[in-house]
Amino acid sequence: MDRVTTGIAGLDDMLQGGFVPNTAILVEGAPGTGKTTFGMQFIHHGIAQCDEPGIILTFEQFPRQYYRDAANFGWDFRRWEAEGKLRIMMTSPEVSQAFFQEAGGQIEQLTREVGARRILVDSISHFERLAADPVHLRQLVYSFINGLKREGLTAVLTRENVALLGEAEGQDESVPFIVDTYILLRYVEMDSAIRKALLVLKMRGSYHDKDIRRFTVTSKGIEVHSKFEGQEGILSGSPRRMAESFIEAFVRR
Amino acid sequence: MNDVTRRLMTDMDPDLLTFLHSKVTSFVKWDLIRFFHENPHTADTAENIARYAGRNVEMTEAELVELTELGVLVKNQLGSMVVYSLSNDPGIRDLIRRFAEASDDREFRRKAIYHIIRGMR
Ligand SMILES: Nc1ncnc2c1ncn2[C@@H]1O[C@H](COP(=O)(O)OP(=O)(O)OP(=O)(O)O)[C@@H](O)[C@H]1O
Ligand SMILES: [Mg+2]
Repeated sequence: MDRVTTGIAGLDDMLQGGFVPNTAILVEGAPGTGKTTFGMQFIHHGIAQCDEPGIILTFEQFPRQYYRDAANFGWDFRRWEAEGKLRIMMTSPEVSQAFFQEAGGQIEQLTREVGARRILVDSISHFERLAADPVHLRQLVYSFINGLKREGLTAVLTRENVALLGEAEGQDESVPFIVDTYILLRYVEMDSAIRKALLVLKMRGSYHDKDIRRFTVTSKGIEVHSKFEGQEGILSGSPRRMAESFIEAFVRR
Repeated sequence: MNDVTRRLMTDMDPDLLTFLHSKVTSFVKWDLIRFFHENPHTADTAENIARYAGRNVEMTEAELVELTELGVLVKNQLGSMVVYSLSNDPGIRDLIRRFAEASDDREFRRKAIYHIIRGMR
């Protein structure tokens, strides 16, 4: 089967080669876990290795901040822009949303202009200010994601998770149902050090590795390592609540 | 008006001087032009652009309208929203790029500020 590789060491193996083409992937995590890095790496790898141009749609950072952050990892986003393989666009969720309700909107134009196959949306949390009502929010995000799919894009959507360690309380839980793949980035406290863990919670239409893996952010980007062994408290941050939250996370979906 | 000052202040690329006189007639416009230069693929509402630029909405909207009339921006109706984006005209884009690059220079900024202030009187 055809796969969209991420270029993230260790992750593609967990996903049977990569993401399923033309699907939406939610990458959720606490502040600073590496969501933006994950997304930039996905875009960079697409352009540099797969000849798949990309778009970054952002609601919070100017393009120049991506240029700078990407340069830290040795990814020359300015060059991709100049070569017409990348477009970085900062706008608002309401405008992005409206683009898909009318033909010929800016996102559609950019997609066609560069022949984009991949998109990073950083971050989808900003949609939450468009609708207080969870049902309405779900509809908004759903139609937005459909718009991306209609353009044939494989989309990585990031989302902030307010809980640093352990479970998030009171966050809207409908988005994970809408997406095809759901990846969680977590801080975990182990041996009195804070580490980072990655977990693929769901992947529609494919087998995936269900281990909780340690990952690091290096000067080359994200690297996913071996699984955490015998660490039952990893998901919740506390060993006791862990079994509970683990079951909830898997069984509810 | 001191003639030496004027001569000093008009000592710049004539295209940029014309650009300054005709399009960059306020500090808000300067901010907005820089915003669109740094974010050339964006399209957004006056309200949001005001937020990014840290200016109030009424003032920003009035300036966006003027920049549209001046051909720097284009205005589009998107459902119930009006959104502004950079003109695709290569001439305008080139001038904006040259203006933004020149603005990195302190001397140029000093001259530009002089012209904006004189123009506002
Ligand atoms: N060149 C680098 N080498 C190693 N680590 C880096 C490098 N650049 C950034 N990092 C680390 O990557 C981490 C994550 O950054 P990133 O911006 O991707 O996180 P994020 O989840 O998007 O955060 P936020 O919620 O603030 O948007 C930071 O903790 C930072 O320390
Ligand atoms: Mg981020």
